[in-house]
Amino acid sequence: MAAPDPDRLNDLGKRLDQFQTKQAAGQRRRAPSQSQIGFRFATELFAGVVGGGGIGWGLDWLCGHFGFHTRPVLMIVFFVLGTAAGIRNVMRAAKEINAEIAAGGRENGKESGS
Amino acid sequence: MNLNPMEQFAVKPILGMDKPLLTIAGHPIYFTNQALLMVIVAIASALFLTLAVKPNRLVPTRGQSMAEMSYEFVANMIHSATGEDGLKFFPFIFTLFIFVLCSNFFGMVPGSFTVTSQIAVTFALACLVILLVIVTGFMKHGIGFLKLFVPHAPWYLLILLVPIELISFFTRPISLSVRLFANMLAGHTMLAVFGGFVVALGTAGSLAPLAIAPMLLIVAIMLLELLVAFLQAYVFAILTCIYLNEALHLHDHH
Repeated sequence: MAAPDPDRLNDLGKRLDQFQTKQAAGQRRRAPSQSQIGFRFATELFAGVVGGGGIGWGLDWLCGHFGFHTRPVLMIVFFVLGTAAGIRNVMRAAKEINAEIAAGGRENGKESGS
Repeated sequence: MNLNPMEQFAVKPILGMDKPLLTIAGHPIYFTNQALLMVIVAIASALFLTLAVKPNRLVPTRGQSMAEMSYEFVANMIHSATGEDGLKFFPFIFTLFIFVLCSNFFGMVPGSFTVTSQIAVTFALACLVILLVIVTGFMKHGIGFLKLFVPHAPWYLLILLVPIELISFFTRPISLSVRLFANMLAGHTMLAVFGGFVVALGTAGSLAPLAIAPMLLIVAIMLLELLVAFLQAYVFAILTCIYLNEALHLHDHH
């Protein structure tokens, strides 16, 4: 392959830059779709509840193993804590999604400004 | 023809490999269709990425451009989510992203097998991520990493809040893996169900022309599934970045 002509390459580079800035200006980073957000929240809550209950169940089992008959007290306690953790997860997810959308808006503003 | 929509998720030894490869503590280990697809995904993505950038041309070919774009995409994602020092984890996150992406896309090939529709696979990946987060946190901050679990609150509330934060942290692998697994499972089941409609209508004599309706629907769902395949890989990778960011910078969230 012959060495490319530097002038042509520079020209191409310039045109690519122009094209990219034009595209970046026209393109808004879209927020995640509604169903994706909904699904995210659902799994966060699910993970909290199931994870909490599971941890409690496991601790009950462990305590039973060592002769303490706590079943089902720990499972109930951890189920409630897990539900709280699930709600905490959802709140955090909402905050992350908001931050993502805000960051997208800032970036677009910067790029279209240059 | 088998019309059970869940049939496609069955893990079974591939043809000609009915004997276990090896036995670990009495458990026979088979080379299954799932293992085969994982090997194919790993080899195909590694081969494509290395061969595509091999020519290393100034004006890239189509393949090289794809490889470079995915590199830039992941690098930008890490940079925006974790900042400069997150880029150390680029190899891990890039590998994770490409593996999940290729698994999802290979699963879209009719007749193949979707690796990411198995909770065993996604949960293993998610546990890997959480382990990395924990190790990173302790290496960076030492015992101070535990401050992540102590929000700003009066001490009597901390008795309640610290366990909640702990559960919230340790259930992350569940939400991470369930999201990917459930998305893939739901999409592929839906495709199979509508495929069943096509067969049922197509063999129903005078109703046969009606089979075109679910057929068209399948095309639409297929397009949606291609989008979901990419989106879920992206979500998996970006959440990894977000969790790593917390371990790196110890955001006090309150």
